[in-house]
Amino acid sequence: MRPVLLAGHERALTQIKYNYDGDLIFSTAKDQHICAWFAHNGERLGTYHGHQGAIWTVDVDPTSTILASGSADNTIRLWDIKTGKCLKTWEFPTAVKRVEFNEDATKLLGVTEKRMGHLGSIVVLDVKVDVEAEQNDEKVLTIVCDESKATVAGWSYLSKYIIAGHEDGSISQYDAKTGDLLYNFSIHELNQPIVDIQWSKDRTYFITASKDKTAKLVSAKDLEVLKTYVADTPLNSATITNKKDFVILGGGQAAMDVTRTSARQGKFEARFYHKIFEDEIGRVRGHFGPLNTVAADPTGKGYASGGEDGYVRVHQFDKGYYDFLYEVERERQNKQA
Amino acid sequence: EDADRVNSADVAVVEQRRRILEEWNAWRAVTEEEVAEERDIMGLPMDPVEELIRIKTEQLALDDTEEKVIE
Repeated sequence: MRPVLLAGHERALTQIKYNYDGDLIFSTAKDQHICAWFAHNGERLGTYHGHQGAIWTVDVDPTSTILASGSADNTIRLWDIKTGKCLKTWEFPTAVKRVEFNEDATKLLGVTEKRMGHLGSIVVLDVKVDVEAEQNDEKVLTIVCDESKATVAGWSYLSKYIIAGHEDGSISQYDAKTGDLLYNFSIHELNQPIVDIQWSKDRTYFITASKDKTAKLVSAKDLEVLKTYVADTPLNSATITNKKDFVILGGGQAAMDVTRTSARQGKFEARFYHKIFEDEIGRVRGHFGPLNTVAADPTGKGYASGGEDGYVRVHQFDKGYYDFLYEVERERQNKQA
Repeated sequence: EDADRVNSADVAVVEQRRRILEEWNAWRAVTEEEVAEERDIMGLPMDPVEELIRIKTEQLALDDTEEKVIE
């Protein structure tokens, strides 16, 4: 699994997203531009300039036409992927920490930061996947998080629910049409923030990553915790692989945050777990700092990680990865064949 | 005797995994069926992304023919 190193950011990475076909990678960092890369060779397709602050988040619509980003400059922006042109800017009172398109990219959600005088919120915007279209100024929905601020959020299957992860370690399920809070469950250690949520392909379940050193697989319909993955370091990100039943976790403590010196200080590795059996099955080393973001190629061919060190590392899976099966999995495959 | 003990422990682990895998697959089957039903009722395409890509491809093809007419 020889990685391709993408060196185009000068600051810590914040989020990585593959497009639907898995041939493009979009990355954001604390420097003020978004990068687009070809996944197979790491060549840079382009950069998107305009934000005036750290960029926290990015998402791409399923047809790879437009890009959405959220930044510390208190804006969400929409970009034409092909030309790099900024198509729309929405302004908010605080920083935008997460953006996500729903399954058919008719709507975009944004998570806004809590700050003196402003409660954290989740806003919903109508979007048109058309670079010529006039985009709507108005927010169609605002969900105010008065209990614990939302750190991340996303859209479930059928755009039925908005699922949010909170600073206090709980998750919420909101009705995506009305914004009503349907459920809120504490699933991670109290006051250990949930810092990432990523979806399964069909958006019926998702994985959370928490500073409490665990990641959890949760059903979108009833917020039932299906699986728990236990790590030995605070996590920043978690992703679900397609084709193979694995999850990949990224995290690590920066040296300055490590109070006790340990033999594996930092532990800057991507960790692979079996999605169904919850066992750790392997690690991939490489970054010089914590992994801030991990993303699985939706076509199942590889994954990418973005570090505090400012690098994106793209890995293509090799034969050993595809061949890896538990005895009971092989048994089932043989039965089906 | 020791070998037997190890063996039965292995068998127990495999049994456990078989059960976990069955539970997962059963949950997936139920979930997929439910969502498919809901999509059907709401008149939504089974795969929303495939549908979007189909529309975009059609649009691109249309744009191409339009250009040819201009030439």
